[in-house]
Amino acid sequence: MGYADDHQWSQRHLSHYVEGDLSHRARRRLDRHARDCADCGRGLRALRALVYAVQGLDGLAGVRAPATIFDRVRPAATGGPPAPQNA
Amino acid sequence: MTPSPRGGSPPDPGAADAAAAATEASLLARAQAGDIDAFEQLSGAYADRLFMLLLRLLGDPDEAGEVAQEVMLRAWRAISRFQGRSSYFTWLYRIAVNEANRALAKRERQPPSVPLGPRELDLPTSPGDDPARQAENNELRRALAAALAMLPPPLRTAIVLRDVEGFSTQQAAEIAGVSQAAFKSRLHQARLQVRAAIGDDALTAVGG
Repeated sequence: MGYADDHQWSQRHLSHYVEGDLSHRARRRLDRHARDCADCGRGLRALRALVYAVQGLDGLAGVRAPATIFDRVRPAATGGPPAPQNA
Repeated sequence: MTPSPRGGSPPDPGAADAAAAATEASLLARAQAGDIDAFEQLSGAYADRLFMLLLRLLGDPDEAGEVAQEVMLRAWRAISRFQGRSSYFTWLYRIAVNEANRALAKRERQPPSVPLGPRELDLPTSPGDDPARQAENNELRRALAAALAMLPPPLRTAIVLRDVEGFSTQQAAEIAGVSQAAFKSRLHQARLQVRAAIGDDALTAVGG
């Protein structure tokens, strides 16, 4: 397997690596290549940073659903309950 | 299945879990028999998380509120057909994702009319961060929000469910209504598109 093959393969699997989806063998292949390839090494760092940053977008704690969330249900329910079926 | 802890209260372990499950099962049975109060109690437990998900997917609080009403109406109409193959929460979330995608399709992939709010964009910071670092973080927040808003709905759904909401791949795929393999493919595409939009230098300068 040549450097060019490893490089193309590594570029396609960077996100899988970050996700932990690669087999042990595949992970070692990417590790080995990324040690010598600045491009893939930077790609790995960028994807890790991306996931970290996107996780940091979780800042909506405390946001409440509007009180009107069931407003369409009551009128629909007055037309009769849904026919019970096997649950 | 219980919701992922991120963005919501973690379930209590042990006996509390069992009691909660029994309560949910009882409410579900009553709702399926046409008890509207039971339906509101059952679904109301997830209303805040569901609204947050819609807000993340749609970006517009008014539209998220509208769609949330539609989700509850559809859930009420369909609850008698719910067969318990997934948890009620997963089923409700799946309806929400479908409705959000329907709303996004109506907009023909226009970016959200109201960008994700500033609190949405709170990147982890430490008290020691210098002003230059904070400025870089703010810039990255804006770039991330813009990049996420431009993703096609299925890709945006994938990255929101997995990376923002913190669901496992299995849970997220179930909610998105696709196989785990298809979900992973969407997630990887989403990350690559966001990475390309922001650029490695900007990402590694702040997070690396």
